[in-house]
Amino acid sequence: MRRFAHVSPDSVAAATAALREARAAPVGGGSDLLGMIKDNLVAPDRLVRLTELSGLDAVASQGDGGVRIGGMITLSALSRHPVIGERYAVLADAAGSVGTPQIRNTGTLAGNLTQRPWCWYFRQGFPCYKHGGSRCFSRTGENQFNAILGGGPSYIVHPSDTAPALVALDAQIHIVGDTGDRWLPIREFFVLPSEDVTRENILRPGEIVTELELPPHTGTHSAYTKVTDREAWTHAVVSTAVVLTLDGDGVCRSAGVVLGGVAPIPWRVEPVERLLVGQRMTPELAAAAGAAAVEGARALARNRYKIALVSETLRRSLLSLA
Amino acid sequence: MGRISRRSFIERTGALAAATTLPTLKLRGAAQQVDDQPADPAPTTRITLRVNGETHELEVEDRWTLAEVLRDHLGLTGTKVGCDRGECGACTVRLDGTTVYSCSQLAVWADGRAVSTVEGLADGDQLNALQQRFVAHDGPQCGFCTAGQLMSASALLDDTPNPTRDQVREGLVGNICRCSNYNRYVEAVLDGASADAPSARALTTVGALTPRIDAPERVTGRARYTGDVRLPGMLYARVLRSPHPHARVRRVDTRPAERLPGVRAVISRNTCDVVWTSGDSRNDRFLFNDPVRFVGDPVAAVAAVDRHTAEEALEAIVVDYEPLNFVLDPEEALRPGAVEIQPGGNLSPRGRGVREPEVYERGDLDAGFAASDVVLEDAFTSKHINNAQLEPRVSVARWDGDRLTVWTPTQGISNCQRDLARDLDLPPADVRVVCEYMGGGFGNKNQCQDSDLIAAVLARETGSAVKLEYTRKEDFLGVHGRWPTRQYYRVGATRDGTLQAIELRGYSGLGPHRKSSGGIAGIELFRCPNVRRVVHPTYTNMTVSANFRGPAYPQGVWGIESMMDQMAHELEIDPVAFHLKNVSRAYLDETPYTSWALPECIARGAEIFGWASRWRRAGAGDVAVRRGVGMATGAFSARTGRSSAVLRLDGDGHLWVHVGVTDIGTGAKTTMALLAAEAMEMRLDDVSVVWGDTDRCPYSVGESGSRTTVQTGDAVLAAAADLRQQLVVQGPPRGDAVLVAEATTNPRIEGMARYASAAHFVELEVDVAVGHVRVVRYVAVHESGRILNPLTSASQVKGGVTIGIGMALHEELRYDRATGIPVNPGYYGARVMTHLDTPEIEVHFVEPEDAYGPYGAKAIGEPPIIPVVAAIGNAIFNATGRRLHELPFSRDRILEALA
Repeated sequence: MRRFAHVSPDSVAAATAALREARAAPVGGGSDLLGMIKDNLVAPDRLVRLTELSGLDAVASQGDGGVRIGGMITLSALSRHPVIGERYAVLADAAGSVGTPQIRNTGTLAGNLTQRPWCWYFRQGFPCYKHGGSRCFSRTGENQFNAILGGGPSYIVHPSDTAPALVALDAQIHIVGDTGDRWLPIREFFVLPSEDVTRENILRPGEIVTELELPPHTGTHSAYTKVTDREAWTHAVVSTAVVLTLDGDGVCRSAGVVLGGVAPIPWRVEPVERLLVGQRMTPELAAAAGAAAVEGARALARNRYKIALVSETLRRSLLSLA
Repeated sequence: MGRISRRSFIERTGALAAATTLPTLKLRGAAQQVDDQPADPAPTTRITLRVNGETHELEVEDRWTLAEVLRDHLGLTGTKVGCDRGECGACTVRLDGTTVYSCSQLAVWADGRAVSTVEGLADGDQLNALQQRFVAHDGPQCGFCTAGQLMSASALLDDTPNPTRDQVREGLVGNICRCSNYNRYVEAVLDGASADAPSARALTTVGALTPRIDAPERVTGRARYTGDVRLPGMLYARVLRSPHPHARVRRVDTRPAERLPGVRAVISRNTCDVVWTSGDSRNDRFLFNDPVRFVGDPVAAVAAVDRHTAEEALEAIVVDYEPLNFVLDPEEALRPGAVEIQPGGNLSPRGRGVREPEVYERGDLDAGFAASDVVLEDAFTSKHINNAQLEPRVSVARWDGDRLTVWTPTQGISNCQRDLARDLDLPPADVRVVCEYMGGGFGNKNQCQDSDLIAAVLARETGSAVKLEYTRKEDFLGVHGRWPTRQYYRVGATRDGTLQAIELRGYSGLGPHRKSSGGIAGIELFRCPNVRRVVHPTYTNMTVSANFRGPAYPQGVWGIESMMDQMAHELEIDPVAFHLKNVSRAYLDETPYTSWALPECIARGAEIFGWASRWRRAGAGDVAVRRGVGMATGAFSARTGRSSAVLRLDGDGHLWVHVGVTDIGTGAKTTMALLAAEAMEMRLDDVSVVWGDTDRCPYSVGESGSRTTVQTGDAVLAAAADLRQQLVVQGPPRGDAVLVAEATTNPRIEGMARYASAAHFVELEVDVAVGHVRVVRYVAVHESGRILNPLTSASQVKGGVTIGIGMALHEELRYDRATGIPVNPGYYGARVMTHLDTPEIEVHFVEPEDAYGPYGAKAIGEPPIIPVVAAIGNAIFNATGRRLHELPFSRDRILEALA
């Protein structure tokens, strides 16, 4: 492993200052970053540890019924938190589906949102767009797990399980840098390769994710469904995050529907949400929603199966929530 | 510097012998002149660790992982490193109570925190309750994952004292066991009953459920594996490997690396032309080849004061490659115009020079097809998959004068010694091979490996002990995995279900070296008058392929058993009835078996499984989740052969059994002790095994091909018979006296074949709209002669079946076709089976009398994986009416097939 220095700042300001230095990298649980350093995919001179920043590992209820979640909360703590489990099951499920107990015990929410792609080509160090190169090897290569929506020029899929859940929940994300901080809707956090092929989110050097805020969602039915090609310890082949507000008659008053594993960003399907609102769930409606979710999907040579797979997964998830 | 070759070893050996008797001699000057202290040392931090209640103050480099500090700096080697990427779980420890992968934690992150490792579980020699259950339930096979499983289980039980079976599987899911003893680990945590019964034919000791004699070492972390060996002044080595599938090496400039502080030696083709004989039985495979012929082919190696310095030095080596055309597919490699990978062509020669495919035939194929009412043709493609044993390759070499000692995880210390001596041109007596414990192999730790030779050369060059560690990725690409195949079948039968003709034309991809047969086996399971099998073992530019559990069978049996299943379907005959009509009754319809119970295994399995009520003819159903059943058979040689044993009975009545086994996880040591105890009518506690060291043990056949129990076991029994004779004549030894008996046995079986066999039955569900397969029930019925230890034998079956399920459903080393680069090496990428992927495997034994082998025992290690892929493929066909022709039966392939 290449050498680097390690610092563990005790305040957000100190962290962002430390990150201003060239070739400094923020680190949370470290599972992803250390592996990338060992594989010579990145070569930071300095790791800036964020997990010791106080107050960033908790869930705090807000006056309006929403909650704030520290970005450094571990995925284990998040998945087991009673408030999250009760009111935001989609997020608890998503966090609990990541990796293994050991990974969830150290992996953080912010780290899960900002992990780099798990495209084979990126991880094997091919000189692809994400490594500063000028092509996407998956487009014509082993693309079983690559994008069917939103791809081009890179065809990575966003690897995070918690990201689709947070988008479906309309979360706000808090970003702090050495020049200031901002809150924004999490859906604006992610970046398509057509906008900037080198990055997956809007974080600039020196910026970190400190907190997330979830709006109150009383009466919500939600679920995260993750389809994998072994039973655990892998990223989603496809996934769906569904958040529905149903009234007493079972009529859908609001819907958040997001697909994972299919696009370079968590893929919100607004046509599906519009289809659901004002309706009571029926097998026909669920099937129509599944079909609408993949409208415009375009397969690469080896991932055609994902179109029907995500459509069916969404259909089942909707029926299970009705 | 002169070239390092076999010749120069002789010359140096002579010169050294004349010049000095110093135990270590520095042959190189340049690198040692450089100051060992890097000009710009790596950043460090002072930390306090509380490990198992003891406080340590340490100055650590910021980049050091917690695993590294525990193992290398605190000597707590019970924690293993299997992948160094958080993909296997072997390094699991508890940090302030919660489980973490210590390979993925920096040591600085543990500053001031409490670390618990496996060494902290036992109270002195008293195992804790969980460790005791791990021993009793036969948790550890090779034991390399055991510490991690224990730490996860401990954390689970602290949180959930009475977990359900599913909670245990979820709690331990972050711990891969490649021996795949998942059923046993779950039983141990639950302390639940096992379905296993003692042998139906138990003798006094043989046949009883016996925990392994070395299990306590494996559950405490005391067992010393090669990676745990630390010698004074030991250097660390790393290998630079080709990024190209095929390229000329125009130039290797090692000087920039040699100039780095802390680097002691760099070797490459410039300076070393040692041939690794067991790396290729047909061509000269050098340690460093030009051209390089696969991604991962070694180009240079570095020895330095620590592993990080060695890794940094690799980056300083400059290599100028001239890329050549490459070919990955064996059939393409044989087409005109394909790039020539080895001199003389891509069809690997039979012996040296005869460039023809391997052909077997009997009867008249044309007549057989003419006599058939139904003739079926089909083709099957199996893939390269890695053995993925938890312990990555590691070798430690030290020269004491002219004598070489190599610590290495090998499946055969005797073979390894022989190979090292041959390749370095040393007298075998000057080579000592030590393997105390080893973390699995499944065929890719046979003989000596290039790592042993590279470490030996570097140790010679530097005059220091050298440890060469392969990373998990290197182990996937640089060692070997199962050979991929393409199989074209034509099978004919008459309407009554009698086979008339079988034709196989097959291609197997060896990678660029012939390290094993590349065979496609399985036709011999069936009785058929007219057979022709033509197999083309072919060079390609994929990673090298060679032995992986059941070597030639699982892929071949998948092909032929798929054909048989299809034939039964076409003829509207129950596959069980079809098998009972057509399975082999004599080996190749010619040679009688010493004993043979495959028909009984089939009948017994069908009864246990309830086949008659579960099977219905395959058809496309319309329900979302379709159930199907499938069955398949297998057999594996249990031949007798040469091996040796030495027994020593001490005056105090203790018996020492010296055998050259290493115990790759099969329980070989325990088996040898059981046999000796039975034969001597002694208690198992009064027997000790001396193993794993060529200085202390006689020749033993390698632990490959399921030969140890039969061949070394025969030698133990022969030595025991001699010892008993001596006892009759001389009476028991008293005081300091000893009685010693030795035997080298090689029993001949004239005119008969000796085989173990099995029939497997599986029920599964296919969720057709999402392409998901769930194994609902798995019944494995095995005939391995007398079962010496039903506990460990059943574990072998459970593990083999589980690895086979992974081969069927998940695993494949995928290659980028455009660049020839493999894209998914490692446990994560290859989708190796986890706790949650593993169903309960029901194991049953049929035990016929057999006149050969120790008490009639046969092979049990290789057979269990053989029928699995076929049984699952047949069950998927039964469930869906679709037969898949390419492995693995992954979600994408199932959905494509059903679309």
